[in-house]
Amino acid sequence: LGRIAIIGVGHSKFGKRNDASLRELAFEAYSAALDDADMDSSKIDGSVVCSATHYDKQRSPAGVVAEYLGLNPQPTFNIEAACASSAVGLRTAWALVSSKLHDVMAVVGVQKMTELSNEEIQELMGRAGDVMWESPFGTTMPAYYAMYATAHMAKYGTTEEQMALVPVKNRKYGSKNPNAMFQKSITVEEVLKSRPVSAPLKLFDCCANADGAACLIITNAEEARKLTDRPVWVAGLGLASSPMSLAGRKGPMTSFEVTKNAARSAYQMARISPNDVDVAEVHDSFSITEILNYEDLGFARPGFGTRLLEKGETELGGKIPVNIDGGLISKGHPVGATGASQLFALTKQLRGEVGSTQVDGAKIGLAQNIGGIGMYAAVTILKA
Amino acid sequence: MGFEKFGRFGYVSQTKIIPLLSYLEKGQIPATRCKSCGRTYFPPRVDCPDDRHSAIEWVVLDGRSSLVTFTKVFFAPPAFQPETPYLLGLAEFSNGLRVFAPISPSVDEKQLKPGTELTLKVAKGSPDNLFYWLE
Repeated sequence: LGRIAIIGVGHSKFGKRNDASLRELAFEAYSAALDDADMDSSKIDGSVVCSATHYDKQRSPAGVVAEYLGLNPQPTFNIEAACASSAVGLRTAWALVSSKLHDVMAVVGVQKMTELSNEEIQELMGRAGDVMWESPFGTTMPAYYAMYATAHMAKYGTTEEQMALVPVKNRKYGSKNPNAMFQKSITVEEVLKSRPVSAPLKLFDCCANADGAACLIITNAEEARKLTDRPVWVAGLGLASSPMSLAGRKGPMTSFEVTKNAARSAYQMARISPNDVDVAEVHDSFSITEILNYEDLGFARPGFGTRLLEKGETELGGKIPVNIDGGLISKGHPVGATGASQLFALTKQLRGEVGSTQVDGAKIGLAQNIGGIGMYAAVTILKA
Repeated sequence: MGFEKFGRFGYVSQTKIIPLLSYLEKGQIPATRCKSCGRTYFPPRVDCPDDRHSAIEWVVLDGRSSLVTFTKVFFAPPAFQPETPYLLGLAEFSNGLRVFAPISPSVDEKQLKPGTELTLKVAKGSPDNLFYWLE
């Protein structure tokens, strides 16, 4: 298999974007990615549009997005894997470019969530789980993750104060990211005092629905050499699935088997170990998720994820800086765009272009993206 | 009446597993067992993916289970908002199968922790819904 490179990245401002439609958000990210790659649309021979389409007013959004980006008559289609849509979009485009069916592709992650009414959002949230056996009891997205938090607290003595260190860290870095939805730091006390959502999770333990887009331009090694002098290589791709129903999962519910399986594939493909990772973006949909991710990715032993936070090991300057762009907790979570947003952040880090939040000498980056309530997980490893 | 009768608020109406409702009406918690390989399923299902056999028999469980984890929901989907806050749990039967279910409000919340022994029992909702919860 040939090497595949990311040669351009673009990112819209995330948040409550009541100034822009789905297609316009996609254009912001796509246009920025072409500028970043210093190229025009003429070489793009296909687009992969990544979106959890149940949130979009537009049905089959790839149709209108490709039209608006000026990418007809090239192939386009939609990829949906809930919150992991655009990580799976990259995997798809990787395979299409590796096979030589395509040469240069745009992976466009986009989501327009805030124009839905609260009622519509809550109704959708209620069907995030197994709709036959779990949704009829009033499940929510936070409720599922809260159940992992309860189990982790009981088994390892993890506390709500320790979990609060995740939003405190991530919001600190979010305050330095102009694309983030929330740009104000918060304190442990503010997290603990925020209103309960699904115990033990409170409002500031949770990421927010948002609008936004992020785009990656990818190509093969031959084209990459012609088109750029700063390629970032896709070194490892891991993707796994898990039972969607909570009742179908095994073990004490203190880790995500789906992340461990995806990580194993990605580390193997990239021929690296967790210790080799210089900078990481992990799926902090909730505070507890980031802690589980540290453990499932092998950054910490089971039960010791909170130690990394307490010792500042996942801060800038620590052993393994994590979510230095602010994470989902600061940026907001426009579901289909989140995976590409993580890879945008890593690409910038590996090129050394981040400025005040640059991880010095970063050569290997890892992104981990969970889909929905943990039925999908993608781990992507990039190398400078 | 279809399967939308299952749960506090049912989303799915059409399924092959409808006989579940008649067991619940009798106050019984049933699982299904593949007639070919003997594997038991809960929640019940009519198709066994192991040997792609779709002949099942129904078996009644005693409902005794051990709590794996739980949460208290404050922010709920629209149909459930009048009930907030409420408890949801994941429990494991002695046969190793698991159930996702509400925890009855009669349970003292302060006593709950992973490992707490509970029993899955049939519950009635409105208007004439049937479900099960952990007591």
